[in-house]
Amino acid sequence: MQKTVSLSMKAERRRENIAGYLYMAPSLIFFLGFVIFPMGMCLFTSFFDYTMTDFTFSGFQNYARAFNDSIFTNHALINTIVIVLVSVPVVCLFSLWVATIIYKMRDFGTSFYRCVFYLPVVTGSVAVTVVWKWIFNNYTGVLNFIMKNMGGMLQDIGLMEKTMGTVFSGNWNWLGNPATALGCIIMILLTTSVGQPIVLYVSALSNVNHSLIEAAEVDGATNMQVFWRIKWPQIMPTTLYILVITTINSFQCFALIQLLTSGGPVNSTQTIMYYIYYNVFKMQDYGYGSAMGVILAVIIALFSAIQFKLAKTDNG
Amino acid sequence: MKKLLALVLCLLMVVPFAATAEDVTITLWTYPIGSWANESTVNEIIANFNAVHPEIKVNVQYLDYQSGDDQVTSAIEAKTTPDIIFEGPERLVANWGANGKMLDISDLWTEETAADIAAASPTMLATCTGADGKVYLYPLCMTTHCMVIDQAAFEAAGAMQYVNLETRTWTNEQFAKACEALVNAGYAIPGIVYCGGQGGDQGTRALAYNLYNATFTNDAKTEYTMNSEAGVKSLQQLVDWVNDGLLVSDPGIVAGDAIALFCNGTTQMSFCWNAALLETNKQTLADGVKPLAMAFPSEDGVPVLDGGVWGFGLFNNGDEAKVAAAKEFIKFVCDDAVQGPKSAYATGYFPVKASFGDIYTGTEKEGNADYAVFSPYFGGIYQTAPNWTVQRTEWWNLLQRIFAGGDVATEANVYAANVNVK
Repeated sequence: MQKTVSLSMKAERRRENIAGYLYMAPSLIFFLGFVIFPMGMCLFTSFFDYTMTDFTFSGFQNYARAFNDSIFTNHALINTIVIVLVSVPVVCLFSLWVATIIYKMRDFGTSFYRCVFYLPVVTGSVAVTVVWKWIFNNYTGVLNFIMKNMGGMLQDIGLMEKTMGTVFSGNWNWLGNPATALGCIIMILLTTSVGQPIVLYVSALSNVNHSLIEAAEVDGATNMQVFWRIKWPQIMPTTLYILVITTINSFQCFALIQLLTSGGPVNSTQTIMYYIYYNVFKMQDYGYGSAMGVILAVIIALFSAIQFKLAKTDNG
Repeated sequence: MKKLLALVLCLLMVVPFAATAEDVTITLWTYPIGSWANESTVNEIIANFNAVHPEIKVNVQYLDYQSGDDQVTSAIEAKTTPDIIFEGPERLVANWGANGKMLDISDLWTEETAADIAAASPTMLATCTGADGKVYLYPLCMTTHCMVIDQAAFEAAGAMQYVNLETRTWTNEQFAKACEALVNAGYAIPGIVYCGGQGGDQGTRALAYNLYNATFTNDAKTEYTMNSEAGVKSLQQLVDWVNDGLLVSDPGIVAGDAIALFCNGTTQMSFCWNAALLETNKQTLADGVKPLAMAFPSEDGVPVLDGGVWGFGLFNNGDEAKVAAAKEFIKFVCDDAVQGPKSAYATGYFPVKASFGDIYTGTEKEGNADYAVFSPYFGGIYQTAPNWTVQRTEWWNLLQRIFAGGDVATEANVYAANVNVK
């Protein structure tokens, strides 16, 4: 009797497993076909001299070429790391700051601000870029217009020194000047990156155990102490997730650069992603592009591992 | 019964149309060449074609210059290229043809059509032929790229005295004086040397090499030569004009932006212009802006203008029925006595066949006939030189470097070293 029950349970479990796998199948097939397979292909082709007409094994030559390519090492790699080092902390801190303010608001306020900050995320990158291109336009752009008028106002009230005349001249070629182009790209990237972290932080802060906060407040803890001793540890897993996601997105910054600067002027906005695109799609040098793709993946993995290590919590 | 019904419905989804054995469907990808970017124009051409060949269905995909090349590259790798593509020799011959992705269509060049084309442009067959001797392009239209000035602003600034209205030419000295007159009259940015990307780079190339009669490639079109003495002198002249405030260099914009700034009256000249651009930008011209097409300035006032040729090529998809159908389409669009001139008219450029004659006089595009004044300056096509794709990127990078203060001779040599790789 017991044996019969056990057999029927096994059959039931097998049926459940099969059903589970069947439910998973569509996304699994998608994942294997569009993520794992291309990754494997990328790794495979990185060892080949692969162009429109050629496909010959070249070992590690593409990797060696990348590290001897001054555009890759002196511009693409450095600019990418600058973007990550600036945008990741700024996005995390800014979104945490905004979230701490808006999560306490009434429902309408929280929803309103969440929508406002999330809007650039759901708006198409091309539309966002077109608007920013107009803002930064050095002939008809709104930023130069504001700067010029601000300069005029400062001059009128005697606050502008002669040396500041250039700053407020209204003649800045924001995207065409190597000194400012990368800063503009980072600025736009920030506006499109903060939406998701704010939503996540608002949600995480709302889920913080309130009884602990009340107990701490009864014991005389200051706001800062409450934040660092109670809220911060509880939102740490969210912070880690935001750090990793923002880092990956920053490393993969591409559309802005393609639409605004094409990596220029004088390679000042060249990034690894754009340089990969340039080599693959413009030069049809697929092997070399793949090798740089692998290098980028390794760098992202390293950064993510470091973040996991540093942000490791007891429950995380 | 339900199962049977489901089966029938499935079959209907798989075989939606009862196609006959002779029916062929071909795919055309077209870049935005004049009104060939316009769906209604292309549909009309296809309807005309289907009146003669109802058995051939033509599906069209419209490409743009921003992402079109990427789409074609992806299609080549995925082996999903279209049957026909409409663009110029720099892509069809020098890139995809040279890489063995296109079919030899020399059979379309019959004795009669070759003679007709040669009567209008003697070097056209050579332009459409790859280094391997195969013909990859069947041309429909051609033009000379030029620049444009705002005649109204020039008149207001008293700068028209430096322009030869009859020949539409000027010397370097006259050009500089005209820019000076504009600046003195309060036009702060007479013209912009754009170098933010490859869009419209034919303008900056022609502007640069004309100044001191440099050549962009050698005669055999095997080497890029802007690092020559004349080339460096020309580039230095551009830098000097920018430093003197007569022109502005801008690594943040491409030709499309420069044209927009000309049309809205911000600048008084654009170094990228041609007959079709006049048509496509008519609606955006600000009040008072009066475009006047001009040749590029040169030391002796005799310019050499970049030529543009557009036509059809066939990708090698291995389906003979489709190849035959695609050739029928090309013959109809380019050679048919009635449709041929209409197809060329839609581009806004000049037909490559002498027999089509003047297709603009007395039409809505009458202004395009004016551009025939530049025909004597047609400098041929050098865009089929090797490494053309690399060259295009290196060119705007060179301009960015010299305008950012790089030594002109050194940077020109860097450019030459990068593009003249054997």
